[in-house]
Amino acid sequence: MSLTALGFTLVFVAVALFISMWQKLGLEKDLFVGTIRSAVQLLAVGYVLHFVFRSDRPLVVIPILWIMIAVATWNAAKRGTGLRRVWLRIGISIFATEFVTMGLLLALGIIPLSAQYVIPISGMTIGNAMVVSSLFLNQMKREIASARGEVETLLSLGATPRQAIHDLLKRAAKSSMIPTIDGMKTVGIVQLPGMMTGMIVAGASPLEAVRYQILIMFAFASSAALTSILLSMLTYRLWFTKRHALDGNGAL
Amino acid sequence: MEPILALDRLSKSIPESGRSLFANVSAQVAAGDRIAVLGASGQGKSTLLKVLSLLVGADRGDIRLEGKSFEQWEPKDWRSKVVYFSQQPYMLPGTIESNMTAVSRLHRREFDRRLAEELLSKLGLGRLDWSKEAETLSGGEKQRVALARGLLLKPDILLLDETTASLDANSKALAEETLLEWHRREGSAAIWVTHDPEQARRMSERIWFLSDGKLQEDTAAESFFEHPVTAAARAYLRLPEGGPSSCP
Repeated sequence: MSLTALGFTLVFVAVALFISMWQKLGLEKDLFVGTIRSAVQLLAVGYVLHFVFRSDRPLVVIPILWIMIAVATWNAAKRGTGLRRVWLRIGISIFATEFVTMGLLLALGIIPLSAQYVIPISGMTIGNAMVVSSLFLNQMKREIASARGEVETLLSLGATPRQAIHDLLKRAAKSSMIPTIDGMKTVGIVQLPGMMTGMIVAGASPLEAVRYQILIMFAFASSAALTSILLSMLTYRLWFTKRHALDGNGAL
Repeated sequence: MEPILALDRLSKSIPESGRSLFANVSAQVAAGDRIAVLGASGQGKSTLLKVLSLLVGADRGDIRLEGKSFEQWEPKDWRSKVVYFSQQPYMLPGTIESNMTAVSRLHRREFDRRLAEELLSKLGLGRLDWSKEAETLSGGEKQRVALARGLLLKPDILLLDETTASLDANSKALAEETLLEWHRREGSAAIWVTHDPEQARRMSERIWFLSDGKLQEDTAAESFFEHPVTAAARAYLRLPEGGPSSCP
C-alpha cells in the first residue's frame, strides 16, 4: 500500500467525525486521540518488528513479550479497581497462559521458533487473555452485587470463602469464555478474522491463511479457559476480608 | 456460669457515613441463654447479630467464644457454632433437597435426613416436595426452610434476626414451638432480634435493650417489662414516665 493510499484512509475517520458532530455524540476528542494513537502505535510497532525480524535473534522477542504482558495486565487491572494487588494476579494469569500456549505451539512444532511467528501469535494470545481477564472481573463484580445474599448465607452456614464463592466464580468464568467460544462457532461465516484478512491482503494463499486462523482459534479456546480458571483461583480471596466476610461490610 | 460468648466493648459505625450504630457494647451469653434484643429501628440490632457471626466486622472491641477471641478462631468453625439466621431468607440455587443437604455437603458430614424431615414437619412443611426448586417457595416457606437448614448445623448459639417477622400467625407459633423445643433438647443459646415485645416475653429469659447506640439494659425479661430502669426503655414500652409499670 502506498503512503498516499494510507493517507486516504483518513477519510474513514472523517466519516466518523462527521457523524459524531452531526449527532452531537461528543466523541470528536476521543476519535482524534484514537486516530493519532493507533497510527503512531502501529507505525512504531511496524518499525520495531521490521528491526526484530531482520536481526533474526530469537532472544529479542523476550522484552517484546514482557511489554505486551505488562500493557495487557495494566489494561485489564482497570476492571479490578478496589481489589488489592489484582494486577499481580492478572499478570501471573496472562503470563502463564502465554507460557503454556506458546510452549505447546513450539514443543509440538506447530510453529517455528522465529520472531516472525512468535510475536504476532503471542500478541493475539495475550490480547485474548487480556479481554478474558477484563470480562471475568466485570462479571465477578456483577455476581457479587447480585448474589451477595447467596454468599453470606453460605458463609453463615460455615462455608469457607472458596465454597461460598464457588458458583459465582464458575458463572463468571463461563461468561468470560462465551465470546471466544461463540467466535469459534461463527468464524468464517459472520466475519473473516483480522489475521486471516491481513494475510490474504498481503498476498498469502487463502488456504494457508485459514490454517493459521484455525491455529489461532484453537489457541484462543485454551487461553480463554486457562486465563479464566487461573484468575478465578488467584483472585477469589480478594473479595473477602481477612476474617472471611464479604468485603464491603467493614474491616474486621 | 462460664459465658459461652462474651462481647467486649464492641463498637460499629456505618462505613459510608461514619455514623455510630453502637459503641462499647459489653455483655455475656451463658450456654442455653435465651436473649431478646429490643430497641427502635436503626439501633444496629441486626448489625450486632452480623458482627457476632463475623459476617460484618466490628470497628473496635473483641468477641470471645468459649473464652477464645474471634481472632484465634477459623471463621468457618466460629460460624458453625454461632449461626446467623437472616431476616431475608436466601435459598441457595437448586432444589429444596439441595438446600437441606447444604450443611452436610459444606462440612462433609453424613446428612441426617430423619432430623431434617422432623424439623420441616414441626415447622408445618412436612408435605413439602423436596424436588421442587427452592426459589418457587413462598416467603414464609423459605423462612422456615432456612430455619431448618441452619438448625441442622446444631449450633451452640442461634442468632435470629426477626426470623418470624414474615410468617403468618400459625407458622409463627410453629416456629416458636420448634425453637423452644430445640432449646430444651439441644441446649442452644439464642439471641433473638424482634420488634414484638410479646414475642420477646414468650421466647426469652433476658433482654438486651439498645438505644442511642448503647446497651441500656441487660436484664431479666420479667424485670425489663415490669420495672424498666431507663427512661428510654420506659418510652419504648410506652410506660408513663415515673408512673406505675404495666405490660406494653
